[in-house]
Amino acid sequence: MYSLEIKNVTKKFVTAKKELLVAVNDVSFAIEQGKIHGLLGPNGAGKSTLIGMISAMQAADKGVIEVEGIDVGARPTDVKKMLGVVPQEIVVEMPFTVEEVLYYYAGMYGVPERERGERIREVLTELDLIGKLKDRARNLSGGMKRRLMIAKAIVHKPKFLILDEPTAGVDVSLRQKIWALVRRLNAEGTTILFTTHYLEEAEQLCESITLIDHGRVIKNGKLKDIQQEFSKNVIHFELFDRAVAHMAGVIEVGSDYEFPMTDLGDDLARLTTYYKGNIKSIRSESASLEQIFLKLTNSPNV
Amino acid sequence: MMTGMWALYAREVKRFQKIFLDTVFSPLVTIGLYLSVFGVVAGDRVIGNLPYLAFVYVGLLSMMLINSSFSNPSFALIIAKNVGSIIDLQLVPIRNWQIGIAYALAALARGIITLSIAVVVTIWFIPLHGIAHPFLLILAIGLTGIEFGMLGVTFGFWAKNFESLTFMTTFVMQPMIFLAGVFYPVATLPHPWGIVSQFNPIHHNINFIRYAVTGYSDGTPWISIIVVGGLTLVIFAVMNFVTRRNLQIS
Repeated sequence: MYSLEIKNVTKKFVTAKKELLVAVNDVSFAIEQGKIHGLLGPNGAGKSTLIGMISAMQAADKGVIEVEGIDVGARPTDVKKMLGVVPQEIVVEMPFTVEEVLYYYAGMYGVPERERGERIREVLTELDLIGKLKDRARNLSGGMKRRLMIAKAIVHKPKFLILDEPTAGVDVSLRQKIWALVRRLNAEGTTILFTTHYLEEAEQLCESITLIDHGRVIKNGKLKDIQQEFSKNVIHFELFDRAVAHMAGVIEVGSDYEFPMTDLGDDLARLTTYYKGNIKSIRSESASLEQIFLKLTNSPNV
Repeated sequence: MMTGMWALYAREVKRFQKIFLDTVFSPLVTIGLYLSVFGVVAGDRVIGNLPYLAFVYVGLLSMMLINSSFSNPSFALIIAKNVGSIIDLQLVPIRNWQIGIAYALAALARGIITLSIAVVVTIWFIPLHGIAHPFLLILAIGLTGIEFGMLGVTFGFWAKNFESLTFMTTFVMQPMIFLAGVFYPVATLPHPWGIVSQFNPIHHNINFIRYAVTGYSDGTPWISIIVVGGLTLVIFAVMNFVTRRNLQIS
């Protein structure tokens, strides 16, 4: 069962220069229920447009988007009830306190009045903001405002949470807290769609990813499978004594040696048995998400 | 999802309560100044059987209701657009017409609170004795507050920035209000301005309220009642269209 299914979605805009821009071009992918999925791509790839369409803020020109089996285009209000969205920009309602912001926002999502106080306290405690309950939202620091944005998105316990660069510009400690929160919400069954410019963050959190560039999906699938696909599938090793006869298949690369890998366990066993105590260091090489990203997008910026 | 609509309404009421001095007390100062000037110049003048001061008083209260109802949602929305918090309205599961109605009802609430305080403070100086048509007055205030609340929502969504909203208020709304018979009966205007004023929709709001309070009407009262009712429906449709256009980025 999928929480999100995007089928052949296209979105075009006419730019200020009257040029037609295909922001999202025939995009299809799906997210299984209860997973954390990363939506990655360079600036201007179409991520925010896609998020706008999933959250029913924008209409797709072509294609279908279903959240928990409900067509976003046909029943936007029903879809919005299930969603929690942390937008990229930090925005706060000017005159209200933290408590008021959450009280009315929870109400707008249909949380009954009698339950709102408890929910607000739970969420603010989780996000270390409980001490700021009565403070004006506009007086909070940048990091606190970011946490308030997250609190707004989860106060009504959404089934599907969209986090659009939630850790942009936050310090390391807060980033760790946000990661912990994301993992906890996911463990409770919330499906999470996550966009980030920090690829190590996606590696830490996401089970699956979709990489888009110029509005098109260029890679989609489980993170491990993608990393496996882009790995060199070789074992690198160094020897103390280089003047030895080598095992068949081993080639010299600078001061290292490479051995083509078919099965990591078997191949390691064969090499260590053959070279005995002569192996100084040994490692298998897998591609990082950053390497994959740069390779696929040919882009220096993420 | 009515809970959502009422929560939005409650938030918008809370918003103007937070800046009470500006939203409620500043119109009181304005009406106080007008009344002191007209109190001096009116003397013993009467219009029909109605003392001129009572005539102007009801006109000023109507003007205050219209201004309060219009400015509450229009400024709240233009501020939301400027700070980016308009995204909240795009994300929440409330239907577009409910968003408009929530803002319009909050505008009506502000109008009624402002009106009530103004009446309590000033009625002692005005030669008015009782209300001619109490039920019509409730209808007149309700329809006028909602109508201009919805108009405020429409312009709040339509206006791209503060300048365009201020332009609308200064160059369209205010002249229409001042030429709507707040300070004089439109029937006394020279030809063709008397007839032109009949086409000013705000004239009918003021005339409706004045008729309900004093029993005096500038022309047939039922025409004003029908015009106000009809315009409320038309503005609801326009507000709905504009809200939908602006909350869903095309």
